[in-house]
Amino acid sequence: REIKMRKLDSTKVRPEQLLRIEDHDFALRPGFGGSPIPVGIDVQVESIDSISEVDMDFTMTLYLRHYWKDERLSFRSNKNKSMTFDGRLIKKIWVPDVFFVHSKRSFIHDTTVENVMLRVYPDGNVLFSLRITVSAMCFMDFSRFPLDTQNCSLELESYAYNEDDLMLYWKHGNKSLSTDEHISLSQFFIEEFSASSGLAFYSSTGWYNRLFINFALRRHIFFFVLQSYFPAMLMVMLSWVSFWIDRRAVPARVSLGITTVLTMSTIMTGVSASMPQVSYIKAVDVYLWISFLFVFLSVIEYAAVNYLTTIEERKQLKKRGKASGMYSIDAVQAMAFDGCFHDTDVDMDLPAFSDRCEENETRAHAASVSNVDTTRIKRKRSLKGNVGRMILQNNHVIDTYSRIIFPSVYIVFNLFYWGLYI
Amino acid sequence: SHIYKKNHDVTKTWKGKTEQLLRVDDHDFTMRPAFGGPAIPVGVDVQVESLDSISEVDMDFTMTLYLRHYWKDERLSFPSTTNKSMTFDGRLVKKIWVPDVFFVHSKRSFIHDTTTDNIMLRVFPDGHVLYSMRITVTAMCNMDFSRFPLDSQTCSLELESFTSHHVSLMLYWKNGNESLKTDEKISLSQFLIQKFHTTSRLAFYSSTGWYNRLYINFTLHRHIFFFLLQTYFPATLMVMLSWVSFWIDRRAVPARVSLGITTVLTMSTIITGVNASMPRVSYIKAVDIYLWVSFVFVFLSVLEYAAVNYLTTVQEWKEKKRRERFPCMCGIPHSKTMVLDGNYSESDANSLAGYTRNQMVAEEEKQEKMVVHLAMINESNSSRKRGLKGHVGLRIIQNTHAIDKYSRLIFPGTYIFFNLIYWSVFS
Repeated sequence: REIKMRKLDSTKVRPEQLLRIEDHDFALRPGFGGSPIPVGIDVQVESIDSISEVDMDFTMTLYLRHYWKDERLSFRSNKNKSMTFDGRLIKKIWVPDVFFVHSKRSFIHDTTVENVMLRVYPDGNVLFSLRITVSAMCFMDFSRFPLDTQNCSLELESYAYNEDDLMLYWKHGNKSLSTDEHISLSQFFIEEFSASSGLAFYSSTGWYNRLFINFALRRHIFFFVLQSYFPAMLMVMLSWVSFWIDRRAVPARVSLGITTVLTMSTIMTGVSASMPQVSYIKAVDVYLWISFLFVFLSVIEYAAVNYLTTIEERKQLKKRGKASGMYSIDAVQAMAFDGCFHDTDVDMDLPAFSDRCEENETRAHAASVSNVDTTRIKRKRSLKGNVGRMILQNNHVIDTYSRIIFPSVYIVFNLFYWGLYI
Repeated sequence: SHIYKKNHDVTKTWKGKTEQLLRVDDHDFTMRPAFGGPAIPVGVDVQVESLDSISEVDMDFTMTLYLRHYWKDERLSFPSTTNKSMTFDGRLVKKIWVPDVFFVHSKRSFIHDTTTDNIMLRVFPDGHVLYSMRITVTAMCNMDFSRFPLDSQTCSLELESFTSHHVSLMLYWKNGNESLKTDEKISLSQFLIQKFHTTSRLAFYSSTGWYNRLYINFTLHRHIFFFLLQTYFPATLMVMLSWVSFWIDRRAVPARVSLGITTVLTMSTIITGVNASMPRVSYIKAVDIYLWVSFVFVFLSVLEYAAVNYLTTVQEWKEKKRRERFPCMCGIPHSKTMVLDGNYSESDANSLAGYTRNQMVAEEEKQEKMVVHLAMINESNSSRKRGLKGHVGLRIIQNTHAIDKYSRLIFPGTYIFFNLIYWSVFS
């Protein structure tokens, strides 16, 4: 007996002999022809590797453990301790064929050897553990992106054996699912892991037990606030700067408006690049398009201002044409087109324009201080003054209103948006 | 060793192995059932689990499906009292004959193998076999993009036996059109899956004969909303923005030019963005038509302003020549160069504002004198102005503003008309 015991513990006894592998038919499940064999499942999630919005899937690495009883594998032992065998032995015994429903790619890690553990207890209980990485589908709803929460689940099922042959169940109920402490994602907050089970029906093959690993992911919004919302907000605010610039500075206001439109367009293209092409509008789309609308409207507003200025100018010139005398151009209009400020009214005979604004101003100051100023002042007060004031008042009205209306409407929109989605 | 007769546990009563039960050792897996006899009918049943992706650039689609074969092999029949089928481990498949179905026009495919090969083998006592596997296959689909993104694509997955032609193996859909089932949740983000249906046909290979081929056909309608938001809307807005230029005073040269040229730049960016995710086909797509016509509109608005600007300069020259016929006491040459920094230089003042005098240095005093002189001239001028140059001036205002005025109506009108035609043709 002592010799036998020593032989049992030594490597001279081959596992095949110990477990009677030669007689073991791996094609037949334990209890073949009889009642279904219960197989307990235990999962430890090692990590969630990635969540892909474009492919609508997630990648998870987990330890998957099966527990079942196969009396063909029982062996005699005094100490009632289990024996651990090399993973390559599983090719010769029956194992449950659990697969991941809706998985796209999966593999059992095989460095340095196949990550498979087989542990057999003397009474025939078997513990079979694998380390697997699986990419599975997760249907995502982006209508509240990036303020959304996604619910994903990994589903386990036996491929061949329906509920008459194999009964899959969570070994410890809800506690069968455990996770590493450091499990975390950069973009998401993992809300909860839960285990559930159900039955699935296939018309050609019957009912199957299905186990679910459910988890909920809440997206961290900080990245999108920094990447999309802030730039969009800043662009809208920048477009409001145009209302405070003098309406006579045409190139300035036009290029300010058009460049903010261009930047908004670039921001919008950038967001859509990393997103799946869904057929509904997302929360971030709503924000970006309304901001784009604001920026667009600021350009239209200046076109209106400019057009009205031109009309006034024409009226004024017609008026002046009838009253003889010098044609004088109101500095308000006259300076607009070269973008230089003119303090003085420009008489047509008095070229106060020049290539450079500084020269212009010095010349204006030098030349016109004594003479033109008085005449200008007089005339301003008399005729052009009224017209000028009228023009100033008219267009500044649109600008003045815009300075208040645009920001307040945008703030109201922001209150609505964030109140609705958060 | 107990014998539990109640639950009829075969692993206990049957000391032998499956191989003995199914007589696998005598089974020659290289020979099909009824070898030498009539063609063996193999029924096929498919359940589509998901359509993983459709790629326009590669012109293919990826599908995951459960593929089930049904046939009868009398060599595998076994005695049974209960007439129930027996499910065997997938590894047994290597030892018996199975049909060699493959996917024609597939690029990549694999049978899932986690945790074990996703294969099921179920044998009925009379020798009927059900053989099921879970496969992901990427197959070619010829796509026609001439109506992209308002298009529908019809793709099909084709099953055929690789070795056995119609004389030895007859492949057919087990339940006719009901053989094809889909999961309820099957959906794609960009497409609406219209219908799945099955057909079968014979395919001829000149070297090997006629083969049965089964088709899984489905039609995909593209959701246009994404492209409306991403491409059509920005293009329309850019064209509208280019029309703003007609309302800005024509004297604001830098403003109108930069507006025009920036809208051209944005249109160009939109066009490049669309083409990045598209295959390089040799025909024009629907979205290309829209974008290029919009681009032409934006381009024409820039040309329109160039014309307006040029005509203004021409008028200016004419004015200068007319003025030179009359003596001028000031002797100051009135330069008429139009400065490229955006100032009009009609140095003799006209009804239009914004004049610049070039190369006038240290002329302040002269200017004041000029004031006096020109006052006289201006009066005569003014009368003439009212008479002639006034008319010319007014005509100038009218002339260029005419082009602008017409443009304000023509451009939007033509663009709306184009839109009506486009959407009625393609929708």
